[in-house]
Amino acid sequence: MSPSRTQLPEKFLTLAEMMNIGDQDLARRKEFLEFGPDDEERLHKLAPLAVNYAEDVIEAFYEHLLKFEEMKAFFPDNATLARVKAKQKAYFIRLTQGKYDLDYVEERLKIGSVHEQIDLPVKSYLGMYSFYLREAWKHIFESDRAQPDELITTFFSLMKLVFMDISLTIDTYIDSRERTIKSLQQEAIRELSTPVLPFREGMLLLPIIGQIDSQRARQLTEHLLESIRANRARVIVIDITGVATVDSRVANHLVQTVEAARLMGAEVVISGISPEIALTMVTLGIDLGSVHTVGDLQNGIEHAEQLMGYKVKQFGEVNDKNYGDGA
Amino acid sequence: MKVPILKQGDFLIASIQGALTDTDLTSLQENLVSAVRKNRSKGVVVDVTVLDVMDSFAARTLRSISLMTRLMGANLVIVGIQPDVAFAMVQLGLKLEGTMTGLDLESGIAMLKAADQKQERGHNER
Amino acid sequence: MNDKYITIISDASVMAARQKGRELAMAVGIAGSDLTLLATAISEIARNIVQYAGQGQIEFHYVIRGSKRGLMVIARDNGPGIADIRQAMQDGFSTSRGMGLGLPGARRLMDDFDIVSEIGKGTTISMTKWEY
Repeated sequence: MSPSRTQLPEKFLTLAEMMNIGDQDLARRKEFLEFGPDDEERLHKLAPLAVNYAEDVIEAFYEHLLKFEEMKAFFPDNATLARVKAKQKAYFIRLTQGKYDLDYVEERLKIGSVHEQIDLPVKSYLGMYSFYLREAWKHIFESDRAQPDELITTFFSLMKLVFMDISLTIDTYIDSRERTIKSLQQEAIRELSTPVLPFREGMLLLPIIGQIDSQRARQLTEHLLESIRANRARVIVIDITGVATVDSRVANHLVQTVEAARLMGAEVVISGISPEIALTMVTLGIDLGSVHTVGDLQNGIEHAEQLMGYKVKQFGEVNDKNYGDGA
Repeated sequence: MKVPILKQGDFLIASIQGALTDTDLTSLQENLVSAVRKNRSKGVVVDVTVLDVMDSFAARTLRSISLMTRLMGANLVIVGIQPDVAFAMVQLGLKLEGTMTGLDLESGIAMLKAADQKQERGHNER
Repeated sequence: MNDKYITIISDASVMAARQKGRELAMAVGIAGSDLTLLATAISEIARNIVQYAGQGQIEFHYVIRGSKRGLMVIARDNGPGIADIRQAMQDGFSTSRGMGLGLPGARRLMDDFDIVSEIGKGTTISMTKWEY
């Protein structure tokens, strides 16, 4: 297959490279832990036993984990639990097999990163490692009571490796967390500039002020869709009174927002179309299709109420003697 | 993965439990259509809350199901499209035109009842 | 790291490719709705492979641009190839009933998108999703 003509391929990187963990770093970690070829050998000797006890350890492990409410949330159904158990088993077995090189590091970094992304707390993570080591020791001890010294040394090898895993995991948490914080900060700033305001049950108001570029449009739409879900909204009023210009791209963004809202069962009214904007749209041939549009916000709210099935009645003035007699 | 189809009065509720392969979707089509016939249902709610991706094949299949059930006298409403999924669908150009969509099961049933009443009024006025 | 390559031969592997893509993207810090966009794009492209080429392969690679990380998805097949790429990339183009090749859609879902195709030889699509 001929390679791409139009762009140079990006450099392909491993997670380890992205986090600047190379051979030197790995060697250092092993030195700190005094983990060497002897430990590797002992772990490999442990492999057959480890493969045998893996199943038991997993079952005990998840029995313990699922006692905690906050942990249950990570396993919404049996399929997920089964899949995670299988991965965990593979993880445990890997501790006693293969080389402990950068490929090994890569696997561990990936696991840590995924766990951080799904918000698995560090304390739960550490609790899990602790549980595993205790269970593993029970099985190791049972395997050959005649040679306790050797068993202890073997267990220490396992412990060293687990501690290396923990160090890699914590590093991914830190790395991941830094990025998450940065993106959360950016998201917070954007959300401040595009508030979604619930007004009346089932109705949302989204006033837009300023320019709408692709990035802002996307953030707006996502925020709106999430609000629809959170507020169980059925009608949205998007007020564009504060929007300076509406060109075909902006119109496109608006149409897409409306379409996405409809997929979630919500209808959209766009209000605040000034005469200038109306002229621009007609001149450019922009057709908002079946999107409800009205002139000003007041009309927008009334229209929305009608869509919701509210009857909007005009009561008399406050000092009208008929006011309050019911309608 | 088989999608369970429950009967609730005149309506059927199909709750998707997880990601669906193309084969699963085709089976769902067959099963729903035959369930509508068997139960002479007036409406179907397809709950896609758990679906993490709606691609063109899934959208096409749901649309087919909606057209087929309509021919058999049952309205169809799709509920539970998640914010992420709705956004992706629109980027992809999947609008599910002509198919009713609702927020959740409750709205879905309400929409089917409203559609049913409207149709009955239409019949009675003839 | 052979778990970064997925062979596409059936709709079950389409799902596996989606899952894998999501997992790898999460590990590099891509989050939220970007994951759904990515998974949807992979679904479209993988399905194209099954439908038009019968078989193909999807690879995942981590990439970096400046300080931003991303996941690059490369989909290769040795299928019939696309005669007119420009036409195929136009919205509304469709060879089969329904919503078409999904190529313009996939391009909209991803941040970078590149396609190379040769009649009789096959098609290679490279697309990238970057951190937000």
